[in-house]
Amino acid sequence: MLSLTLQALFSGVLAGGYYAMVAVGLALVFGTMRIINLAHGELVLLAAYVAYAAESQYGLNPVMAIPFALVIVGASAALVYALLSRIDQDREINSLILTFGLGIILTNAVLMIWAADIHSTTAPWFQESVVVADTLFAMRSEVVFFVGGLVLMAGVHGWLNHSWQGRAVRALSSNRNAAKLMGVNPRRTEILSFLVAALLATFAGIAIYTGKTIFPSLGHVMTVKAFIITVLAGMGSIPGVLIGAVMIGCIESLTVTYVSASLQELAGMILFLVVLFVMPSGLFGGRKAIAR
Amino acid sequence: MKRFLVPAALAVAYVAVPLAFGGNPYVMGLIVAALTIGGIAVAWALLGNLGGMVSFGHAAFFGVGSYTSAVLSMKLGVPPLAGLLLGGLGAAIASIATMPALRLKGPYFALAILAYAHIFQILATEMTGVTGGAGGLLSIPRFPTLLGVDLGSKTGGYVIILTIVVLSAAAYAAIRRSAWGLALKAMHDTEIATRVIGVPSTHLKAAMLALSAFITGVVGAFNAHFINFLEPDYAFSGAWTVLPIAAAIFGGYRTVWGPVIGALTIYLLDQLVFKELMPHGHQFVLGMLLVGMILLSPGGLAPILGRRLEGGQRHAHA
Repeated sequence: MLSLTLQALFSGVLAGGYYAMVAVGLALVFGTMRIINLAHGELVLLAAYVAYAAESQYGLNPVMAIPFALVIVGASAALVYALLSRIDQDREINSLILTFGLGIILTNAVLMIWAADIHSTTAPWFQESVVVADTLFAMRSEVVFFVGGLVLMAGVHGWLNHSWQGRAVRALSSNRNAAKLMGVNPRRTEILSFLVAALLATFAGIAIYTGKTIFPSLGHVMTVKAFIITVLAGMGSIPGVLIGAVMIGCIESLTVTYVSASLQELAGMILFLVVLFVMPSGLFGGRKAIAR
Repeated sequence: MKRFLVPAALAVAYVAVPLAFGGNPYVMGLIVAALTIGGIAVAWALLGNLGGMVSFGHAAFFGVGSYTSAVLSMKLGVPPLAGLLLGGLGAAIASIATMPALRLKGPYFALAILAYAHIFQILATEMTGVTGGAGGLLSIPRFPTLLGVDLGSKTGGYVIILTIVVLSAAAYAAIRRSAWGLALKAMHDTEIATRVIGVPSTHLKAAMLALSAFITGVVGAFNAHFINFLEPDYAFSGAWTVLPIAAAIFGGYRTVWGPVIGALTIYLLDQLVFKELMPHGHQFVLGMLLVGMILLSPGGLAPILGRRLEGGQRHAHA
C-alpha cells in the first residue's frame, strides 16, 4: 500500500516536470500579452510529431530531432503571434476564438498528415526502466526529461530575473505602460515570450514522445492541463507553476492507481473548479486576480 | 423590404423546402443536422453577444438535455414532445451548477465551462444505472404522428427543429429589443458603470446563461429522439461545441440570424464538400474559417449582407 502510493507520487512528480514546461510557456505569453493562447498545447503536439516523423522516416534519434522541432515550433509560434497581433477590436473574445481556431487547424493538420494512430518512440534506450532508491520505477526518458526540464526551467527563471530581456518580459507583465516608458519594446518582448514558450513546448513534446504516447487530440488535452496548472499556481512565478504541475501530476497518478484510469482527467478538472471558486488568485496568491 | 423578408423566409422554410427535398431522406437529414447545429449556434451567440461570455462547453448542455429527455421517455414514458421542454429544463438546471463560473473573466469562464462539459461526460459514462454507461441508450422513442403528420420522419423532424430554431431566434430578438437587452448592451460597453447605476449584472448574466442552456438542451433532446440513439462520447462530443462556434462566428454572432445561416453554410459545406475531399481532419477547414473570419471580418458574414438588406438598422451590437 505504502509502496504503491510512493510509486504513484513518484510517477506524478515526473509527469509534473513536463506539465510544468507546458504551463510556464502558457503563463509567459499570458504575462506579456494578456492572452490565453489556446493553441499552446498544439505546439507541444507539433514538436512530438516532428520527432515521430524524424524517427520513422529518417531513423533519427528523438533527441537529434530537437533542432528541427525547435525551428518548426518556433516558426509556428511566431505565426500565431503575427496573427494575434492583427486583432484590434474585442481583443479578449476574438483572441480566444482565433487561437481556438489555430488549435483546430494544427490538430487536424497532424491528423491529416499522420492519421489518428497512437505513436511512441521505437528507441529502446528511452523506455528501459530505471530504479531509484530500490523501489521506485520509471522509464529512463521520464527521468532524463524531468532533470532536463528542471535545468531548462531554471535557465528560464534565471533569464527572467537577471537578463535585460527577461526583466523586460516581467516589466511588460506587471505594467505595460510603465514598461514602455522605460524603453521596453513591447512587440519585441512579446515575440520573445512566444519563442521561449515555443522552446519549452518543444522539449515537452519530445519528452512526451519518448516517455508516453502521442495522438492528435493530445494538443487540446495539454492546453487545458496547462491552463488548469496556471490557475492552481497563479500566473506569477516559475517555482509556483512547477509546484502546481507536480500537484496535478500526483493527483492524476493517485487517481489512476486507486480509483480508475478513466477518471484521471476528472480529478484535475474538479480541483480546477474548486480552486477557481475558492481561491481565484491561485494557491500561491499573487496579485493578478482572475475573477472580479 | 425588410418587413417582407422574415415572412418570406419562413414561408420558404416551412413550405418550399419540404416540398423540394421531402422525397430525399439524405438531403433532409443533412438539413436537419445543420439546423441542429444552428440551434446551438443561436444559443451560443445569445450568451456571447448579450452576456459577453465565450463558452467552450456548450456540449455539456446539449448532452444533459439529450439524456434528460431520452431517460425520461424511456423510463417514465414521458411523450417525446414534452421531453423536449424537460430536456431544456434539465439543461437549465445543470447550468445553475455552472453559475459560480459567472464571476470569472473571459478565458477563465470559457475553460471552466469546458471543465463542466468533461465532468458531465464522465458522470454520464459512470452512472450506468441511469444512462446505460458507455454502451449508450438504444431505441429512444421517436416523435409521434400528430394530425396526420408523421413527426418521426425526416420531414417531420425538420418541421420540429425548424420551429425550435425559429422560436429561439425570436426569443433572442425579443430580449435584444427589451430593456434587458439595453442593460446587457450597456454592460458590454462598461460593466462597472452599469452596475453603479443599479443594473443587477450578475443576475442578467445568469439569466442569459440559463436561457442559452435551455435552448441547447431542447436541441439536444430533439436530436436524441430524432436519431434514437445516445452514448456519452457522442452526446458530450466536442463537435457540439466546435461546429456551433464556427457557425456563429462565420455567420456573425452579433446578429440573430447569422448563426443559423452560418450553420447551414458551414455544415452543408463540411459534409458535402470537405468530407469528400479530405476524409481525415476535415475540421481543418473549420479552423481556417474561424481564423479567417476573426482576422478579416470579426462580425461575420451577416453584417456584410445585412448592410445591404437592413439599411439603417446596422447596429447589431446587443
